[in-house]
Amino acid sequence: MANQQVVVVGGGLAGLAASMKLAEAGIHVALISMVPVKRSHSVCAQGGINSVNDYTRQQGDNEWKHFDDTVYGGDFLQHQPPVKEMCDWAPRVVDLLDRLGVPFNRTAEGFRDQRRFGGTLYKRTAFAGATTGQQMIYALDEQVRRWEAEGLVDKYEYWEFLGPIIDDRGDCRGVVAQDMFSMEIRSFPSDAVVLATGGNGLIFGRSTMSMICTGGAAARAYMAGVDYANGEFVQVHPTAIPGTDKLRLMSESARGEGGRVWVPRRPQDDRDPTSIPPGERYYFLEERYPAYGNLVPRDIATREIFDVCVTQGLSVESGRMCVYLDVSELPADTHKKLDGILEIYEKFQGADPRVVPMKIFPGVHYSMGGLWIDFEKNETTGGLVLGSTRNQHSNVPGLFVIGEADYQFHGGNRLGANSLLSCIFSGLIVAPSIENRLNSLANGAAADQAASMFEGAATIHQEQMDSLIKNQGDENPYTLQLELGDWMTRQCTVVRNNKDLAALLEKIEEFKSRFDRISLSDRSNWTNQNFSFARALGDMILMARVMAEGALKRDECRGAHFKPEFGIPAPDAQDPAELRRQAQAWCQAFKKKNEQWLKTTRARYTPQGPEFSYEEVDTSLIPPRPRTYGLTGAEIIGEVWAEMSRDASNEPPKAVASAAGGSSA
Amino acid sequence: MEAQSQSPGLDAKYYFLIRRLHSLCGLIPVGVFLCFHLVANSAILWPGQPGAEFQKAIDRLHGALGPMLVPVEIVGIFIPLFFHAILGVKIWLSSSPNASSYTHGPNIRFTLQRITGVFAFVFILYHVWHMHWFGKPLGAGHFELHTKAGEPAAAVTTATAIQAAWWIAPIYFLGVVASVFHLANGIWTMLITWGITIRPASQRVSGYVCAVFGVVLALVGIGALSGFRTFNVDATASSGHGVTAATHAP
Amino acid sequence: MSKSFKVRILRQADPNSGSHWETFNVDYEDGMNMTTVFQRIAADPVTTEKQPTVPVAFDSCCLEEVCGACTMVINGRVRQACSALVDALLEESPDAIEVRPMTKFPVVRDLVVDRHAMFESLKCVKAWVHVDGYYDLGAGPRLAPQVQEEAYPLSRCMTCGCCVEACPQFSDKTGFIGPAAISQAILFNLHPTGRVERDDRLGVLTGPGGIADCGNSQNCVKVCPKEIPLTDSIAKAGRDTTLYKLRQWFGR
Repeated sequence: MANQQVVVVGGGLAGLAASMKLAEAGIHVALISMVPVKRSHSVCAQGGINSVNDYTRQQGDNEWKHFDDTVYGGDFLQHQPPVKEMCDWAPRVVDLLDRLGVPFNRTAEGFRDQRRFGGTLYKRTAFAGATTGQQMIYALDEQVRRWEAEGLVDKYEYWEFLGPIIDDRGDCRGVVAQDMFSMEIRSFPSDAVVLATGGNGLIFGRSTMSMICTGGAAARAYMAGVDYANGEFVQVHPTAIPGTDKLRLMSESARGEGGRVWVPRRPQDDRDPTSIPPGERYYFLEERYPAYGNLVPRDIATREIFDVCVTQGLSVESGRMCVYLDVSELPADTHKKLDGILEIYEKFQGADPRVVPMKIFPGVHYSMGGLWIDFEKNETTGGLVLGSTRNQHSNVPGLFVIGEADYQFHGGNRLGANSLLSCIFSGLIVAPSIENRLNSLANGAAADQAASMFEGAATIHQEQMDSLIKNQGDENPYTLQLELGDWMTRQCTVVRNNKDLAALLEKIEEFKSRFDRISLSDRSNWTNQNFSFARALGDMILMARVMAEGALKRDECRGAHFKPEFGIPAPDAQDPAELRRQAQAWCQAFKKKNEQWLKTTRARYTPQGPEFSYEEVDTSLIPPRPRTYGLTGAEIIGEVWAEMSRDASNEPPKAVASAAGGSSA
Repeated sequence: MEAQSQSPGLDAKYYFLIRRLHSLCGLIPVGVFLCFHLVANSAILWPGQPGAEFQKAIDRLHGALGPMLVPVEIVGIFIPLFFHAILGVKIWLSSSPNASSYTHGPNIRFTLQRITGVFAFVFILYHVWHMHWFGKPLGAGHFELHTKAGEPAAAVTTATAIQAAWWIAPIYFLGVVASVFHLANGIWTMLITWGITIRPASQRVSGYVCAVFGVVLALVGIGALSGFRTFNVDATASSGHGVTAATHAP
Repeated sequence: MSKSFKVRILRQADPNSGSHWETFNVDYEDGMNMTTVFQRIAADPVTTEKQPTVPVAFDSCCLEEVCGACTMVINGRVRQACSALVDALLEESPDAIEVRPMTKFPVVRDLVVDRHAMFESLKCVKAWVHVDGYYDLGAGPRLAPQVQEEAYPLSRCMTCGCCVEACPQFSDKTGFIGPAAISQAILFNLHPTGRVERDDRLGVLTGPGGIADCGNSQNCVKVCPKEIPLTDSIAKAGRDTTLYKLRQWFGR
């Protein structure tokens, strides 16, 4: 393998984990990143990382329960073997991070401290202050720096990935990338390419994501033939601080400690909020959900806030949508407990939340969807065959995808503190798969391929760049992106319906034609951010179509994809017999819905637009069951479902649908 | 980064040692000498016959050293002083003070430390020239411990030199203040540099201690200066008080 | 949007060009920060003299003050543009907000500078825990909460460069490694496994550009956006290097 090399694109948690693991195996890595890797978006993760641990184990917890929480939280849309493997690995991943020096909070006795997160009953989450993601990426960054010093990793920071290089046989042979300072475009021959390029929040204008999360890299891979899966699944966090440039997360703990969500009953009441008397305040979560109050599950909170602002027009401000999250009436010692997050608000909003209510609004937070990848199930354990070249391998041979850029681990909805885990886990397991692929490569190292192929690939991108830079027209990329973001946020986030989605798709076509008339104010050939942004905007418009069309096609409610016109009405009859009948109908409808929609959306690029196909989900380990958290009639549905499952198991067993059929890897 | 350089030269090899010596030289012997010098000079203020205690103090010092006086002055004061000063200027030239942008105490003192260091060094050179025989042909004063006849002359000659022109005392005033500030602030930074005061709290305490030390030493020095400035040269010379008093000295 | 304000930006087309000032009128928005200002200018890049120009190049990423990318000198003081709120900046300087790139690093374009040297310094001080490998070898060493509480603040350094920008001792002339790297050396010397390479780190800190170059201006700790106790680290490095050298000279 002397002249073999692997290109890793993206230096967040996943990319760094893959790089260090590859380097450990003696494989040379070229690590390409738009920003110095230490500044990647992973730094924004605050909460922690989930794993079963010695405490929870003694309370009855185990890896299987973590696995069950994850697939239940994800509404069963994820293939189960990779998730099971991930949850089995979680304790080992956290141990490794511990060894690498991540300063996890400690108990008095010196063990790792744990906290409880949403979607589980156990204190499974290890954390390092309020900056767990930052601490983890620093630990991995340090390891990769060590390998860099030892000559096994070459970093190309401030380089932007433009596309994979695919040879005549359809194999990925390297990447084309551009130096963001000198604007030089060149090819990087490689024997395997790993994309660890994160999410695409910028499609929604402002999100909780970083400025580099354009999804451009995934879009470029998609255009080159890598399928995109479950694009319509986008997680929206209920409480973010709306800024003029981005949305910043406001942790759930503000509500956990007694914070109340409200809007003035009079639309856009311009009085000082503290002077509005209680009778004129609409505590809509408390009124609509007397039992749960402000602590309704995340997705419900998100939907209700959205409903109050968008449908009812009760947003606090007229110019932008927001509601009050009020901790100002809480006692001082509670403020003290919340200091860490209240300071963020104070720092960026310039107002003290201890005195005035915070203005918050849901914000796009994570993309469950991503580039399609394969896996190989271990029939004995139910997990993965580790080292299988199919793991994390896209439908383009030689191109692997890990981290948020893939679609594998979170199904319809991601559990809190699971993303750090999936990023590092996928980064670690991709390395042995690549190693095995390199060993089995039949037709020589990429470096031995014809130089003309690599030159040709770079030339194509150079020509595309030249034409965009020279383009004349009346459209401004920045205003176009704001418009795209506005449309996507309004029509394709929290509440979706087919009429709006159809209108959105038309609008996206309009954006596409307007993009052709884009004109850059900067036509220079040195550190041209204007150009880089415009190029990424083209990618955003492309992916917006994949997401919107996927959402339009999926006629159901699942996880973060909420389409009320296809919701199943909850049982609400007073009469027990009628209630049971309703529950039975509910369960039948649920079963039917799963038969039709418990499938991975798979979009394939064509110049005319995405070509959709639907693929069976591997639910061979845990049979899907209704996700009734917060639903009225949950109890009776649970009962009826249990009866139905018992009856079904008495029938001769049906063959479980095979996972991810027809992989080309 | 120089810290990366592959084959360290001699100055690179002893870089740390040299810089630590620089730090140390500022305190011992130069700083200690300054203390002794100013305290001894302040003897001019002692009650009794004007200049008598001063003469005694100097005689005691010189008497103790005997023939070793000049070698001690060279090895113990001038070499460390020049080493401290020359390296100090080199350090100063490589730095880029920014007290106008970042105006908080330690940074202002950082800038002052460099200004006072340079001023104090120039002043000391002037002071040495001013008080010694080799300056005399050029119009400077000339400090003598005793007259040729063996009579005490320390106070009279010093005072004469100080009073030779109106601007000399102000220069001495600035020189004393600069030297004392440089020493007091130097002790404060030295405690950090050597890792003795680590936490902000301990640095604050040491800051107060150094400030008090500096103010007291400055008062001692200024007191001495004013003593010489107001010393009645003619009266002492004619009455012979200083001389008589000094004869009691060993 | 009746209210607008002025922003003066020091611009430079590329590393070899000279720099010049350009002034922009920006419409005021509630809660606006400096990264928004640059975004608004980019959307309509026209100076106050009605002269069309190009968008201002600037580094940015997280916009939450955890990545360190958007560091620059605003109103004469180094800080992150994302957490620099226009309201506060206009209070400091009502006529115009003044923005320039950091002065201690080579300018790439406009406000983008090349801070590569800072990451090289981390390499010098071996800012990592040298583990045997990434296979499962069980948990890390048990650690008293007091040690974690000491390490965590140091571990929040995002290599933004504020400390070295404000440091009067950090320049090409001194080759000073700077407070951030010194603090990282102390951080890894704290870690039970990281301690293995302790003497290597102290060796670097006793070399040219090492700890001896610190002039105790304490600007670093004043400007650090993460409030890292950099001066504590520096003083500790002073103590540890002294003891290290004594050990070296007099044997163990």
